[in-house]
Amino acid sequence: MKMQRLLLGIFAASLVPAAAAAADTIKIGYPMPLSGPASVYGVPVVKGAEMAVSEINASGGVLGRKLELLTRDSKASADEAVRLARELIIKDNVDFLVGTLTSAEAPAVSTIAKENKIVFIAPTSKTVQLTSPANLHPYIFRLASNTDIDGRTGAAIIAGWKDVKRVATIAPDYAYGRDAVTAFVDYIKKARPDIEIVDQQWPKLGQSDFTPFINAQMAKKPDAVFCDVYGGDFVTFAKQAGPLGYFKAINNRMADSGEVGATDEALALGNDYPYGIWSDAYDPVIWPENEPAAHKAFIERLKAYTKEKYASGWAIMGYASIFALTEGIKKAGSTNSDKVAKALLGLSFDTPIGKLTFNEKTHETDMGEFWGQMVKDDRYPFAVMKNPKYLSQGPYTN
Amino acid sequence: MMKKSAPALVRRIPWVLVVFVAALTIPWVGSRYDTFLATQIAISALFAMSLNLLLGTTGLVSFGHVAYFGIGSYVCGILMKTYAVPFSIALPAAAIGSALGALVFGFFCVRLTKIYFAMLTLAFSQIIWAICYKWNDVTGGDQGIPDVPYPNLDWMSSIPLLGDLRIAQQFYVLTLIVVMLSLAAIQRIIASPFGLMLTTIRENPERAASIGLNVRRYELSAFVIAGGFAGIAGALFGIFNRGVFSDFVYWPKSAEVMIMTILGGIDHFWGPVVGAATLVLLNQEITSYTQYWPFVLGTILLLLLFVFPGGIVGGLTTGLEWLRRKTGRRASA
Amino acid sequence: MFEVSFLFGQFLGGLTTAMFLFLIASGLSLVFGVMRVLNFAHGSFFMIGAYLAWQAVQWLAPALHSFWLAALAAALGVALLGGLIERLLLRHIYGREELYQLLLTYALVLILGDAAKIIWGTQQLSVSRPPMLAGGFQVLGATLPTYNLFIMLTGVAIAVAGWFVLTRSPAGRMVRAAALDREMLGALGANVGALYTGMFVASSFLAGLSGALVTPIQSIVPGMDVEVIVEAFIVVVIGGLGSFWGTFWGSVIYGQVLSFGILILPGFSLFSVFALMAVILIVRPWGLFGRPLR
Repeated sequence: MKMQRLLLGIFAASLVPAAAAAADTIKIGYPMPLSGPASVYGVPVVKGAEMAVSEINASGGVLGRKLELLTRDSKASADEAVRLARELIIKDNVDFLVGTLTSAEAPAVSTIAKENKIVFIAPTSKTVQLTSPANLHPYIFRLASNTDIDGRTGAAIIAGWKDVKRVATIAPDYAYGRDAVTAFVDYIKKARPDIEIVDQQWPKLGQSDFTPFINAQMAKKPDAVFCDVYGGDFVTFAKQAGPLGYFKAINNRMADSGEVGATDEALALGNDYPYGIWSDAYDPVIWPENEPAAHKAFIERLKAYTKEKYASGWAIMGYASIFALTEGIKKAGSTNSDKVAKALLGLSFDTPIGKLTFNEKTHETDMGEFWGQMVKDDRYPFAVMKNPKYLSQGPYTN
Repeated sequence: MMKKSAPALVRRIPWVLVVFVAALTIPWVGSRYDTFLATQIAISALFAMSLNLLLGTTGLVSFGHVAYFGIGSYVCGILMKTYAVPFSIALPAAAIGSALGALVFGFFCVRLTKIYFAMLTLAFSQIIWAICYKWNDVTGGDQGIPDVPYPNLDWMSSIPLLGDLRIAQQFYVLTLIVVMLSLAAIQRIIASPFGLMLTTIRENPERAASIGLNVRRYELSAFVIAGGFAGIAGALFGIFNRGVFSDFVYWPKSAEVMIMTILGGIDHFWGPVVGAATLVLLNQEITSYTQYWPFVLGTILLLLLFVFPGGIVGGLTTGLEWLRRKTGRRASA
Repeated sequence: MFEVSFLFGQFLGGLTTAMFLFLIASGLSLVFGVMRVLNFAHGSFFMIGAYLAWQAVQWLAPALHSFWLAALAAALGVALLGGLIERLLLRHIYGREELYQLLLTYALVLILGDAAKIIWGTQQLSVSRPPMLAGGFQVLGATLPTYNLFIMLTGVAIAVAGWFVLTRSPAGRMVRAAALDREMLGALGANVGALYTGMFVASSFLAGLSGALVTPIQSIVPGMDVEVIVEAFIVVVIGGLGSFWGTFWGSVIYGQVLSFGILILPGFSLFSVFALMAVILIVRPWGLFGRPLR
């Protein structure tokens, strides 16, 4: 039984110091879900980030140094994201952390950033918890608007439908869906006291059968619905709700604040998309009229980079996250996280969808959401957003 | 002559202590990252070892062992974060909580055999997961409990050498002490008359029953003890990982710890430790090259099942036996 | 307090879910009944079936009736995969402890999941309903989509066909004999090896078929394998591991519990289905409709 020797061998092996890192690149750790249902979004975000890094490096890098992206699969699990974040810091000596997708991952990684005094930018996590006063610290920053904005902009859309009196909600049963619906209900009650909330349904995340929820909701005869179902769940929901006559019953008056206005869901659903509903998107991708030149160029580069026929609406978040960071580094003139964290406060930077600015108090950008009606357009085999309207955060913040 | 006495000598060395001392040097001779990995390995090793009390010692295939790991981490995490209870109370509370959970669930599980036992353990672990995922007010729901504080380790600062370490490294020392004490206890349990009864049950439950052994009660005891140690591992992991999350309790984690245990070898005391170390080191090595870690893990598992059914330790033991026989034959010829 | 038409709609919805689950779980149950292997990879076969169907639709798109051809191709493709896996891997572990059987099928879950990701990427995909089943009609005031009716009929047809094969054909008699006592069957000179392969191929075919048939009403996403296998386990446990009709009735019960459960205990389904599974295992480990194993 010489096992003990093997055991010592393993311990000895772990004593060999990690290979000394090449010091001349700026290392960015990027944990993102690359497997499981959340990879539907994680992968395009990472591709956007990779494209940003390659563009910046092609033009000489930042402060004369090249960027290096260290992507890791967080499996959409908070516990894995935390482990990876720490590994990236301790083993790979990353200078910054960017990434994480879900409302569970980001707050968890934020505590690691705080503990290690490393700037962490969360591109897409929406939970208000991430930057609530109790959890805010100098190193955490967020690009996306939070669930309050999601719920309130959705409420503003529905409040504009004057003949609507009976409103229902359907959202996934976890923090993200619950918070957005709470924000929606609070806002619509103030904006339209005559509206009554007649039904609330909470399917679980990853629900494979929405029929009972759809039937139950239709039985309450709402005139309009606020929906926060997104991603693969929305595809399933729409495919099951259509033949049940759900969208016809509400006359397509649904506002979905789960970013199902982008190409991702539209492409998957094709002609099964419930044409006529309203939704939002970080980036509508296809912009039938008045498309800004910068956006058009960005989408063309993205399609060439990913070799895909249609671009994803989520790549913008990865792309912008890298530019947010590098602008911060440039302003600070250093990769020291304390200096970069200070530089990011109040910093404005350009993105293909316009200028964004980090709020000095909340550490969030002023990013709004593009809202519009999803319509059939003969140029495309799927739904596109008609006249994307940018709802800035201004009127909807606390 | 030398050859004959060597195994006896080897057996007399307190290996738990040797491993402890060797592992203890890591914060001073290794990098920060080595300590990080070693902490992860130590906790995983205890978790795998607790499962092996069921798998290897008693012959019970639990597919829901993660439930007790989860209970331990939530009890400890909630006590320390929400109620600011000191670690010295939170850790035993976690062990007791998990053991109680295992007592309640195990009471029903040990009535079943084989695949039904595995299915019921799975169902119970999913119930625990559903509770952790849903009970927002207490468990934080899907967002879990981030930022679980480190224990107060001020007492270490007065000890020479220890005082200069970072808190993560000091916590490693504490983890190592707890894990090694637990391993020593498990070793004692396995070697005790009680442990021998468990082995008898594994090898021949009918015979065990026929000699008047209350098989169910023994199995339940093993289940409770295993649950308690899993809870200790869970409590340590929640602190090490700086937070407690519902993914801790999701069923694929049970498969993961089972793979660790079998990778090392379920027939040897040190098997789970070797398996945990191998899997943790392999994981961090491979995930820095490719995102297809599940593919690699699945392939390793197939190799294990078809080429080295005894795990690493089993394979090495067989290999050494074979070598010894070969050299022995040559010597005698 | 609820209208009849609404309750009937919930009932129909539950029935659709049930028949889907039956299509998936029947193969799982058959394999357990005969081979005593609990196949974790059954959900992966389901997922591969869905991806293959999508792929076939892309290739066949201009052809008429492409969905039906695609579904058949997907089911046959998965059946072939299942046959290969049985011959190359599973075959060698029948005599081993169930621990090793569980781990082998779990290894397949890991490998097939990543293989699907490598081949098809991570984008969400879906397939349109075949045009002839695109609409819906009214029954007692409730809307029943034509496709759902088709699924219900398919479920019942598979159940009847399965029952017929199991009770009336020589192969079926062997299957039932194997479920009762496999050593005896082998001793009597039956070709147990071929029977097992056939069984596993049939089970994979059903998994592939259900994966293909689900594509018009569900998105195809990574991770759908893990979601579905847990549900299939629950159904099989309720009905009784290895019991064919048990799986059928287990699916019906599960579908109705889900459908009406959200009216009584909204947001509680996650907990209640596992609790149901645990209670049945405690009270009747062999399920509501199964027989105790020997």
